[in-house]
Amino acid sequence: MTWQTFLLLGVAGAAFGLSGYRMITLFRLMRAHRGRDSRLSEISARLGTVLVNVIGQRTLFRKPMAGIMHAMIFWGFLIITVGTIEQLLSTLNASWSFEFIGHTPYSALVFVQDVFTLLVLCGVAYAAYRRFVVRPEYLGQSRDANLILLFTASLMVSIFLMNGFFILSRQPFFAESMPLSHALSRLLGLLGLSGDANEALGTLFKWVHMIIVLGFAVYIPGSKHLHVVAAGPNTFFRTLRREKGMKPIRFEDESVTQYGAAKITDLSWKDTLDYYSCTECGRCQELCPAWNTQKPLSPKNLISDLKHNLFNNKKSVLAGKHDDVGHVLDAHVTEDVIWACTSCRACEIACPVFIEHTDKIYEIRRNLVLMESRFPTEVQAVFKNMETNGTPWAFAAADRGAWAEGLNVPTLADSPDIDVLLWVGCAGSYDDRNKKVLRSFVSLLKKAGVRFSILGSEEQCTGDPARRIGNEYLFQSLAQPTIETLKRYSVKRIVTACPHCFNTLKNEYKDFGGSFEVFHHSQFIAKLLVEGRIKPAKSIEETITFHDSCYLGRWNNVYTEPRSILQALPSAKLVEMKNNHDKSFCCGAGGGRMWMEETQGKRINISRTEQALETRAGIVASSCPFCMTMVSDGVKAKEMQDKVKVMDIAELLDQATP
Amino acid sequence: MNIYVCIKQVPDTETKIKINADKSGIDTAGIKWILSPYDEFAVEESLRLRDKNPGSSVTVISAGPARVVDTVRTALAMGADHGVHVEIPETADSHLAAKALAGALKKEPQVDIVFAGKEAIDDGAAQVGQLVAALMGIPAATVVMGIEYAAGSVKCRREVEGGAIENLTLPLPAMITAHKGLNEPRYASLPNIMKAKKKEVKSLSMADVGVSEGDRKLKLKNFELPPPKQAGRLIPGEPAQQAAELVRALHTEAKVV
Repeated sequence: MTWQTFLLLGVAGAAFGLSGYRMITLFRLMRAHRGRDSRLSEISARLGTVLVNVIGQRTLFRKPMAGIMHAMIFWGFLIITVGTIEQLLSTLNASWSFEFIGHTPYSALVFVQDVFTLLVLCGVAYAAYRRFVVRPEYLGQSRDANLILLFTASLMVSIFLMNGFFILSRQPFFAESMPLSHALSRLLGLLGLSGDANEALGTLFKWVHMIIVLGFAVYIPGSKHLHVVAAGPNTFFRTLRREKGMKPIRFEDESVTQYGAAKITDLSWKDTLDYYSCTECGRCQELCPAWNTQKPLSPKNLISDLKHNLFNNKKSVLAGKHDDVGHVLDAHVTEDVIWACTSCRACEIACPVFIEHTDKIYEIRRNLVLMESRFPTEVQAVFKNMETNGTPWAFAAADRGAWAEGLNVPTLADSPDIDVLLWVGCAGSYDDRNKKVLRSFVSLLKKAGVRFSILGSEEQCTGDPARRIGNEYLFQSLAQPTIETLKRYSVKRIVTACPHCFNTLKNEYKDFGGSFEVFHHSQFIAKLLVEGRIKPAKSIEETITFHDSCYLGRWNNVYTEPRSILQALPSAKLVEMKNNHDKSFCCGAGGGRMWMEETQGKRINISRTEQALETRAGIVASSCPFCMTMVSDGVKAKEMQDKVKVMDIAELLDQATP
Repeated sequence: MNIYVCIKQVPDTETKIKINADKSGIDTAGIKWILSPYDEFAVEESLRLRDKNPGSSVTVISAGPARVVDTVRTALAMGADHGVHVEIPETADSHLAAKALAGALKKEPQVDIVFAGKEAIDDGAAQVGQLVAALMGIPAATVVMGIEYAAGSVKCRREVEGGAIENLTLPLPAMITAHKGLNEPRYASLPNIMKAKKKEVKSLSMADVGVSEGDRKLKLKNFELPPPKQAGRLIPGEPAQQAAELVRALHTEAKVV
């Protein structure tokens, strides 16, 4: 027991007390949320993902340089924290050092710590280089970030100085095991200070280090650096699978009188953990089609703005005074922000800590639509068309099967003995350009000898646009009769050329009792190719670039099948756009944006079309009717329609197949 | 204020109209029924007027076969307070419908203002609003695009032939028939849809409102569809030949020149 014991007990007690209080407040804010979300299934898979993505840092390495930088700092901190704990304990009581583990293991421990102290410094140096020299737009400027870097660098420097001076004054047995500190001690030795002076300076820098550690502990709960605490749990509680359906609302529960999120507390604890986990790295913003075309939505800002909305309402939330909590829409989270999202999910897939941005946007949209009937005015006609005619476009339900006239395509009522049901979708049924895609697909199915039927006038919209816009009630009123129809005919397998129908039928209907084996036409055709049932022989002398549909790629991880079809085209050459696969850029039609005006910023479809034109390909291949419309419009707007064709993968293969 | 709205259920705008077997009307099988779009403007206006005048109520009245109750509920879901359905046959004409609506209105203790659409989009007769006003002995302003409310009167802006605007001031009670542009009708919110399911729709028979089959003034002979539109024809050849052929076709086939 020395003066240091008492001083540290006082300082550390105060620091951990304050930090603990702030952390408990954050935890209480999280618990006060009313939205329900259970995420405790599949514990072993969850532990696995923590091992791979937190300890292993896998998601960080999607950006190689930033990933290495982060991993050095992260792993360094894990190792150095062992030393910090030892430092605190041995300050309380000199005999509580970790030397009891034995000379050799202890020497190894201090060696690793010494090396990682330098690696962390290198990481911080690279981070500073990125922030102050490279300055990527998505990273932004942040005083918080600058302070964190300064703290971190100071921690490492103080460790080296402490070690250097203590090596001089104490000559420990492990001095040679700390190559960097040892080298530094030789330099410090040149100062020619007395043993007592070196000991005093070592103690000084030990205290500098401990004070910064304790200061950091107090600082973290109010900083974006909170991710060091929250991101691990957030990874544990992540949505485990790529394919996810929106959370259903149970309208039959009459005790529920409010739908969606009007207040921050209407969201769930998991949403809160998402805000806490965000360290504003900006990987989401970098890929966001809305942000990149000057819309007010940045997924990064959305998360931090929601966090601030929560903090601004802290008193009322903690007091349980729900009525006093302000609206979730505020000066930063505006209606324009909420409607700008195309639900392309680039943000979620890019996020290294598995933040789910779309869930929050959907919940806020649900409240606006269901409770307040507030949405872009042009959407009202879309809702009404879906209500009366079962399609977002103004066409008669009775005409749904008209596209197939003369093609000899049977309806399920006439021909129930089939391999697969062809789900046509509204675009295939009513949109002239996409009717042609369906004709090509039908032609391919016939060439392959597949037995299939359509529902004809018994088909109606899956409800996807309504659901994405927030009209869950309308979605369910379309989904339920459709599921009944499919069950009445005992449909087992469904194929569709629309990724939105595909996603809804496959991932969303199962929450309403409809489980089917659902294929996107790219998957179905790719299989027919592998089985040799389709044999492309005519050459297509063209360079083709493939535009990934968000609902096929990011929402369902289907990337290889459509490309395999293009690769099967004789003589065709496939080139990739700069943004492809998980980093693909949305066409602008998802999330119900297909039916909304785009009045702010540059048009998203123009941006995507420019990316396609950069490849100098003569054909842009698509696998989605809405992408087809958007990119075709983009090509026309760029006056390139004579040089560049936009075609569905089925059309190309049908052309090549005799 | 006691506010009333006369509404009609009509086939959806995308319906492919078919004539029934005996040509006495349209084939109603498979038709999706909606609230006539001009009536939506009327309902919306009534709701806005109610909300500006605390203590007011909106009652929607519709005359027609049993299925029109669904459309009364559509208006209730938009926010109307009460619904009345007068059951009259499918074959009713404008006069019978107007007399039924006026009969229902006369049974109400006090009527301060009545709204209707300027016309229903099915038969497009544009008569019922005015007829109801006449039968009730109150003034009417038709094809109204803007309304200013004052104590005991309303000032209406209506569109007349040629796009000119006419401003009228009417003492209340009055009938106002709504035109596009009067407002933007709302989309029913879910709580209101739920509430509408539980609201009572008062049911009246023809006898209750003092009308009978004899009030039908029109005798329909039959219904026919317009002749199907001919496909366009491309005239081939040199410009001079094309012009000659065009003139010949217009003269001898179309008989317009």
